[in-house]
Amino acid sequence: MRFVIIGNSAAGVNAAQELRNADKDAQITIVSSEKDMAYSRCLISRFLDGRLKADGLYFKTRNFYHNYNIKPLLGKTALSLDRPAKAVVMADGEKLPYDKLLLAVGAGPIRPKVPGLELPGIFNFYSLEDARRIMKYVKDKLVKEAVVVGAGFVGLEAAYALCKAGIKVTVVERCAQILPAQFDHISSEIIREDLESLGIEIILDESLTSVNGESAVESVTIGEDTDIACSLVIFASGVRPNVLLASEAKLNISKGIVVDEFLNTGDADIFAAGDCIEIEDAVTGKRQPSATWFNAVLQGKFAALNMRGEAKRYSGAIGIQNSVQFHRLAAISFGMSQIMDEDLDYEVISHYNKEQKIYKKLVLKDNLLRGMIFTGDILKAGFYAALIREKIDVGAYKHKLLEPDFSYAYFRKENFGQVGSYAVTPSCWQSPSWFAERSLCMGIK
Amino acid sequence: MKKLYLRIERCSGCKRCELACMDEHRDIDADKPRTRIFVESINERPVPVVCRHCKDALCVSACMAGCMQKDQNSGIVSNQGYLQKCVGCWMCIMACPYGVISPSDNGAMVDNASFAQALKCDLCPKKDTPACVSACPNEVIELRDIQE
Ligand SMILES: Cc1cc2nc3c(=O)[nH]c(=O)nc-3n(C[C@H](O)[C@H](O)[C@H](O)COP(=O)(O)OP(=O)(O)OC[C@H]3O[C@@H](n4cnc5c(N)ncnc54)[C@H](O)[C@@H]3O)c2cc1C
Repeated sequence: MRFVIIGNSAAGVNAAQELRNADKDAQITIVSSEKDMAYSRCLISRFLDGRLKADGLYFKTRNFYHNYNIKPLLGKTALSLDRPAKAVVMADGEKLPYDKLLLAVGAGPIRPKVPGLELPGIFNFYSLEDARRIMKYVKDKLVKEAVVVGAGFVGLEAAYALCKAGIKVTVVERCAQILPAQFDHISSEIIREDLESLGIEIILDESLTSVNGESAVESVTIGEDTDIACSLVIFASGVRPNVLLASEAKLNISKGIVVDEFLNTGDADIFAAGDCIEIEDAVTGKRQPSATWFNAVLQGKFAALNMRGEAKRYSGAIGIQNSVQFHRLAAISFGMSQIMDEDLDYEVISHYNKEQKIYKKLVLKDNLLRGMIFTGDILKAGFYAALIREKIDVGAYKHKLLEPDFSYAYFRKENFGQVGSYAVTPSCWQSPSWFAERSLCMGIK
Repeated sequence: MKKLYLRIERCSGCKRCELACMDEHRDIDADKPRTRIFVESINERPVPVVCRHCKDALCVSACMAGCMQKDQNSGIVSNQGYLQKCVGCWMCIMACPYGVISPSDNGAMVDNASFAQALKCDLCPKKDTPACVSACPNEVIELRDIQE
């Protein structure tokens, strides 16, 4: 079997590993435009501020390709797919024949169209190479002030890292809150305060109008006429699934590459996984780009099984599942996190302690948890997320859901597909006078 | 594969398992010891909750640093002891259905020296019997070898 994988990241690498675990003899090739060996994109901000070196970003080890007998073609771009010939045509003309192909090409950064984009000093924040270029520019030009466009995840990570490097950072966001896709107003305000306490300036409700400068970036204009001096601009204004290869090969495209529950594209020999695909969100039922590391890894693993013909259904994808900690504050959002009290069809249970910066919110509908936000205290967040993902009826516990003693213990018969860890409980344990009789019940003399 | 197995009717809620767990992991936790076994309760009856060292563990798939791994031989799922280092991103905390992974104190992350760590059960690799099992006076917790 010849397996070709385009994309050397979360989805592609985990697929390759899974393929090798299941098939000792297959030929496995991984192609990527990026030169670097498999690294975690999510960690490039920690590289930018110097907390990690490049090898601290490798999510497999340096010897991965060798140990798993995978042929890496790094720094090489796939130009097109020749479906009739079952080959990937590379930019350098080489043709890679495949029996099964995986598109794990991710999502690429997009920028708003404003004047001045050609000026030196403007960067994306998507790859390790971007981070290296930014570091070099900062050093060469002695950058003291920077503007980050977009207060999503990526923008705030970049802002935090630049700030740690001693640069004065201003973040410009066109929505009325930071993290507009993941968090609600209250939690986003708590996180904003945490970032502002470091000296990061965050401007909301404003859009970038232009980038200005003679021969390099000198300032940006926001709104009508507000200028902010800076010599570095980072665009973190969103990503879009890389669908070009698939669309030119006449595969089905919508917001991302369209795949069935076996992660197949409709061509029996071509699969797709990770940020490049569109998923049906298990909570909202809506179709949206996949967009998270966790989804990409799971999809990579499932795609591998299906490429081997094992017909493993992939389901339960969740579009919003994020954990953040920029500075002091940890926060997690999951599922329909942005529903507020006033959304009639939903019930919202929340608890907000302003002093301690602890905010917890649960969103319910028809006795099912649909979304959550935990800010300041993220303990047991995964348990709530599992109740959401697995659609477990919590009707009997509504009054208790945010009590400190609410935990997995209540659902201990629910094993989430794992081997159980509890013995059958004798009936004496249920008795109202259990405490008095406990030594008997415990079998202790 | 080794796993903890619980007989909750024997549990008196003394939390000696939690104390032993904190004590055992002092070197990782530094200034603020944390337990990896949790004596929760149902209507005031104690119920310990433990890590299952899952097959196809979600914490492993969620980990964006690649440090959370399942050892092929022992079956132990841990984020410590690998080349990849935990950076305190909390993806595993979001992924674990049992809620048994917790964040270490944030101080480490803020002062830049190192990253805060996700703390979880490692079945006490330095010991034959995990600390919680030894500490339990009522034999609630048992270490079993199970075929996955
Ligand atoms: C700064 C930053 C922080 C992030 N933080 C988080 C986080 O905290 N949590 C989270 O869940 N997610 C986070 N993400 C998103 C996460 O990184 C992605 O969800 C994940 O990387 C998706 O993996 P993937 O394998 O689908 O594709 P990608 O990581 O996008 O990789 C795709 C690869 O395919 C290659 N490629 C594309 N087209 C071609 C071609 N034609 N030929 C050859 N190679 C090609 C690309 O060069 C790239 O290397 C973050 C992203 C960034 C940029």
